[in-house]
Amino acid sequence: MKVKNYWIVLCCLLFGITATFGQEKTVTGTVTDQGGLPLPGASIVVVGTTQGTQTDFDGNYSITASVGQVLRFSYIGLLTIDRSVDASTTTINVQLQEDAQALEEVVVIGYGNQEQRKIIQNVALVKEEAIQDLQVVSADQLLQGQSAGTQIVNASGVLGSAAVIRVRGVNSINSGSQPLIVIDGVPISDTDNTLLRGGNTGINPLSYVNPNDIASLTVLKDAGATSIYGSRGANGVILITTKKGRKNQRTSVTLDVNTQFSESTDVPDILTADQFRQFKAEVATLETGTPTTPEDLGLGAIGSGGEDYLAGVQRTGISQNYNLGIRGGGEKTTFFIGLDYQDVEGFIIGNDLERAGARLNLETQVNDWLKAGMNLGLTNQRLNRVGVENNINAPFTTAFLQSPVVPAFDDEGNFVQSGSFIPNIFARVALNTDELKTFRVIGNAYTEVSLLENKLTWRSEFGVDRLSIEETIRNAEFNSPGGLGQLIFVAEDRWLTNQTITYRDTFKEDHNFSVLLGLNYEETLRTRSNVSSTGFLTDGLRNIGSGSTPTVLNGDRDPSRLYGLFSRVTYDYKGKYLVEGSIRRDGSSRFGANNRFGYFWSGAVGWTLSEEPFIQDLNFFDYLSLRGSIGTVGNDRLGTFPSLGLFAAGPIGDYNGESGVIPNQAENPDLKWEESQTLDIGIRTSFANSRINFNVSYFKKNTTDLLLNQRLPPQTGFNSISRNIGELENTGWEFDLSTVNIRTEDFEWRTSFNLTTIDNEIIQLNEDAATDLQGRRIIDGAIQRAIEGESLNNFFLIRYVGVNSQTGDAEWLDVNGNITTTPTSADRVVTGSPLPDFSGGMTNTVRYKNFDFSALVNYSYGNDVVIDGLRFADGNDAIGGIVNIRTQNLNFWRQPGDNAFLPSPTSATFNTFNQRSDLQQLDASYLRLKNVTLGYNFPQSVLDRLGGVINGIRLYATATNLLTIKRDELDGIDPEVTDDIDPRFQGESFFTAPQAISYLFGARLTF
Amino acid sequence: MKTIKLFKSLTILLGVFVILSCEDRLEVIPEDDVASNTVFTSGATINGAVVGIYSRHQSGDLNGNPQLISEFMADNVRFVGSFPSLQEIDQFETLATNATIDNIWLDAYELIGAANNIIVNLPGVDAGDLPDLTEAQKAQFIGEAQFLRAVINFQLVNLFAQPYQFSNGTNLGIPIVTEAFTGDISPFQNERSTVNEVHAFIEQDLRDAIASLPEDNGVRASAGAARALLARLAMYREDWTTAADFANQVINSGEYALAADYDFYDDNTTSSELIFIVVNTPGDGPRDQEDNVSDEVYVNFFNPAPGGRGDAPFSPDLIAAFAAEAGDRRFDELSQAASDAGGTDTFFTTKYPDVVNNASNGMVLRITEMYLIRAEANLRGGLSVGDTPTNDINLLRNRAGLADLGAVDLAAISLERRKELCFEGHRRMDLLRNNMNLRPGGGPESAPGADKVIFPIVDDEITNNPNITQNPGSF
Repeated sequence: MKVKNYWIVLCCLLFGITATFGQEKTVTGTVTDQGGLPLPGASIVVVGTTQGTQTDFDGNYSITASVGQVLRFSYIGLLTIDRSVDASTTTINVQLQEDAQALEEVVVIGYGNQEQRKIIQNVALVKEEAIQDLQVVSADQLLQGQSAGTQIVNASGVLGSAAVIRVRGVNSINSGSQPLIVIDGVPISDTDNTLLRGGNTGINPLSYVNPNDIASLTVLKDAGATSIYGSRGANGVILITTKKGRKNQRTSVTLDVNTQFSESTDVPDILTADQFRQFKAEVATLETGTPTTPEDLGLGAIGSGGEDYLAGVQRTGISQNYNLGIRGGGEKTTFFIGLDYQDVEGFIIGNDLERAGARLNLETQVNDWLKAGMNLGLTNQRLNRVGVENNINAPFTTAFLQSPVVPAFDDEGNFVQSGSFIPNIFARVALNTDELKTFRVIGNAYTEVSLLENKLTWRSEFGVDRLSIEETIRNAEFNSPGGLGQLIFVAEDRWLTNQTITYRDTFKEDHNFSVLLGLNYEETLRTRSNVSSTGFLTDGLRNIGSGSTPTVLNGDRDPSRLYGLFSRVTYDYKGKYLVEGSIRRDGSSRFGANNRFGYFWSGAVGWTLSEEPFIQDLNFFDYLSLRGSIGTVGNDRLGTFPSLGLFAAGPIGDYNGESGVIPNQAENPDLKWEESQTLDIGIRTSFANSRINFNVSYFKKNTTDLLLNQRLPPQTGFNSISRNIGELENTGWEFDLSTVNIRTEDFEWRTSFNLTTIDNEIIQLNEDAATDLQGRRIIDGAIQRAIEGESLNNFFLIRYVGVNSQTGDAEWLDVNGNITTTPTSADRVVTGSPLPDFSGGMTNTVRYKNFDFSALVNYSYGNDVVIDGLRFADGNDAIGGIVNIRTQNLNFWRQPGDNAFLPSPTSATFNTFNQRSDLQQLDASYLRLKNVTLGYNFPQSVLDRLGGVINGIRLYATATNLLTIKRDELDGIDPEVTDDIDPRFQGESFFTAPQAISYLFGARLTF
Repeated sequence: MKTIKLFKSLTILLGVFVILSCEDRLEVIPEDDVASNTVFTSGATINGAVVGIYSRHQSGDLNGNPQLISEFMADNVRFVGSFPSLQEIDQFETLATNATIDNIWLDAYELIGAANNIIVNLPGVDAGDLPDLTEAQKAQFIGEAQFLRAVINFQLVNLFAQPYQFSNGTNLGIPIVTEAFTGDISPFQNERSTVNEVHAFIEQDLRDAIASLPEDNGVRASAGAARALLARLAMYREDWTTAADFANQVINSGEYALAADYDFYDDNTTSSELIFIVVNTPGDGPRDQEDNVSDEVYVNFFNPAPGGRGDAPFSPDLIAAFAAEAGDRRFDELSQAASDAGGTDTFFTTKYPDVVNNASNGMVLRITEMYLIRAEANLRGGLSVGDTPTNDINLLRNRAGLADLGAVDLAAISLERRKELCFEGHRRMDLLRNNMNLRPGGGPESAPGADKVIFPIVDDEITNNPNITQNPGSF
């Protein structure tokens, strides 16, 4: 109040002085920020005079000016706006927009932060302003399409599925290619602790942070940025900062409520019961030469009904989302409280998610040298799981495969047995329980001691990431005779400490330097028990204790520890010439005693050209800098004890009640750290009054001593051994362009666009690597093959040509390119790649008066997918011909001249048609309208009429995956799928459920 | 300044303390596995490593898939699809990339590796150094490892090479591996030995095992089991004298006797019928080494839904064979009517009944087979070891509730053999070694000697072993 009074007095004085001039008048109004919140402390000056004022706590101001004079509204970090005063003006309300080019801003980087202007690391920053109006289910979606070099592929439309996140492509070929995720300084664990449900994507680790609590995301890309994370930096690092309070700010309360409706994006057309009967009868007639009816085949008469399984497993999922954020601060203490509750219904039957979360971020300035605080997030989640794919409990897989003539219900509406291993999926979903409950605490507490006039800072952090999982399975008698109960408990505990000392100083005014010294120690312990029991008297007995035959399936603990020492030194001269270097020494319990410690380093230089007179003279650039970095990072993701020779115990080694052990892992004491060396060069520019920003980076990343579970010659008796097997190189370009296309008082249109190209090449494999027929060294897989001198990911398949219109035979190419009807495994060649030529995203934001509109598009070009499930969904004989197929199969060859999809039923190739070939390989280039949001903010006048209790009302509607442009051959298939997070199986899918298309409506109230 | 000095020294002290204590903490050892070098430190752990070989033998890829495949490649099972890899085999279109045969190959050499670990390293362990290990136990452990290695080598050579009859055993068999892996891969890129060489190696293992194994060893391998397998090997090689002799030795050993009924299929490990079986229990069933999950085959494939997959019903041909002589208890008591995965009404075997726990036992060797071998060897070799073929066959027929035959010929013995051993994995080899087409009225693709009545050497072996030779044919 004191301050307010002071300004009122000052204004009065100013008024008193200026009142002597003739056409002077008092102008009042409110200044708000982009989100419509009042902006205290914004400055207003009369251009060309010394007159000025500031807004009060409620964003209100009052100033005296003459008609014709111009008022300039400004605030640090926001774009300055000029408004002229004319004769009729008494009120000028302005909304200051965030200045995307505000280079003074501070960016969170590894173990510290840095002024954005002085950043010479390659980081991608996603700020609060860019994401605050995005409504998403999990944090990874906030990154999608937002920045170059970060590719995110949502694995499927099944709730809770992990997304595949790649920062600058695949830098490692073991399963650990996901980036390190750090939430408020706590590197979180992303081990998948749950049972797989088909595919290998697991549960999304990012589902444990409420997207509404996130203030910003920083993606660390080059070695200059990531080497401070040493042995875990190779796949990039994503730093998530949650919202904090601000000092001396009125407490604001934001309540956000929305409802979402979701459906599947696209599913293939498969045969109806009658189409199926007709097809089978027609085929049998041709095959046997005697007229055959559907009844002869036991399929029932035409018109005798059937089941539409695909329709039956889908629904319109209705979800509710409530979110409350309270943010404020006084002189010494700031806080943020977040609460959220989600009740999500997937578009697949049986797939539901209920989530409740709470967050408290608190910081207090104890005295002039001590600051203390805490960030704590809790999440409680209950997920009803369904199979993802290639699993008989996966609704989508089973609905595709189940013959439409097999009834699901009898006349009374009771479930009936399907009679085959493809179960009655409706009964599975309705009668079985498959529930995953998780509770996760991620947080830290810290103290920060500042000495020597704040030049020296000692920050001491203690963090925790505790994950508790309880997975309950109970199969009913109908589905599993005798019933089955299973209970899995997993606790993954990580605690850590970060101790950092930072010294920053400036001498002789122009020389700025800082030194960081740090220590990081982490201890992780994963404990698991997995018990099951069978032999239940009735389905009413729910828990494993009631079964007659209990079994312990797993009971184990995996400890691991990491200990790092690190340092970073930065120096700049006038912010013009910048140098930075970092080093980290990491020790990990995962590695053998011979190579326990690894050293990682980086060096970076930058030159801010726009500080140079010769650039300033051009009067073109607002900002221009060149930057380059080189350095190394490591990867330690290869299991807990990869170097030891081990014998496994438990049921795998036991026999008939005697305990035993079995060779399980071959010894490799020489196992070394995988190391990536990255070179990164970039230009950052800003021109046309900072309305155009254009950044380009080039990178080259060489990963040596690649870690891989290398396939051993089978005669060794070991499947594989953890080895350093070779070298991989990724090179690429990243482009980021953001523009303010139009900016007037009422209308603004901004565009940001990014594009990434990545090439990868296996530079070298070990001498004893497997070889192909040409003698090239390879890493082999069922569908993909890595080849020395070529890419890591090559689809390696037999080439399918088509059905010969004259003979009715399906035709392939042999290895020499000649037509054959009997291809062999030796005829496989490289047929495609799951890696895009380029990919990226584009966001357009339009604001007109109180309306805002944004559209996010992401795209990928030149990549293929292999839909392995098409081996079942096409052709006549898959699974003995009992499964349903796609409608294009109705087009089989009948007579010469036919341009058919399926060969002649009398052809020898009729049954080999659907063998694995590039027939199942499809061009998965796409452009997808990922997120469209339309919002409306109520004008101040309306709010005033509501009594001033409410400071902001925003109504919005969001559509996700509204439109997808893709090839015709992908009809019914989602291009954005993968069934495995392992890079070697990227772009492979079986029958992964498609993504959801969803429509969301909501309101956000600010008090 | 004083406070700063204090602060500095405190920081340094704290830092040094943390640094020292942290480095020590990086020594972490596994809690649920044991290091390789601890295996030979006590009699108990050595026994554990032998038990581990039996455990490996439980794998569905060694006990399950080979038997299933042998039944449906032949005329006992009409396979109703499921996995494309099994379908390829069913249609005699197996490629080297076939995942099922790949797993059989990999698991087989895993077992051989585990056995070699005992066979190679145990002789060097001085029993005197370990309080809980005797020389007799040592010999027995090695014998058990040799027996299991022989079982698997025999299974591999039967699946991946043409039988002895193809060219008197001079054709290529499988690679023989005699060492345990320690890091150098060169001893594990062996060329294939001939069928005769492989058979000789198996025979040597079995003869060594007979010498070192006890007559009664519970469910673990006994001398009788080694003799029984040797009898089968000799019969496959048409060495009638050896076959009859060893079968006769087993019959007369007093350790085994024909069971009165067929209850021994249902979780009965102590029946006198059984010479060597794979014991699966609810808590310890077949498991895949890679991901440690169940890879059970017998119960899953041979039973109708919902307990099983309904994939492997009786073939019409087998139903007809039983129907030709009514009242056969091997059909009446060991089959159930149900519809298969394709919705066709047919019959399924009940030899693997534990659908609740997926834990039925695998019949590797039982005394019935010894009577059948003795009968066949006596008949075809013109021998008279033990008893007459007619008496031996009538013994089995009586148990099945069928009347005596006055005399038997090879066809009668083969038919009895089929009805007794159906769904136990013998049929494919019985047809091939008798030069009969695998399918009734089958074409050249299923004829004896055809390229795809055997499997190709798997792609994993081809790409990781420059010395290997692929089988003839297009794979």
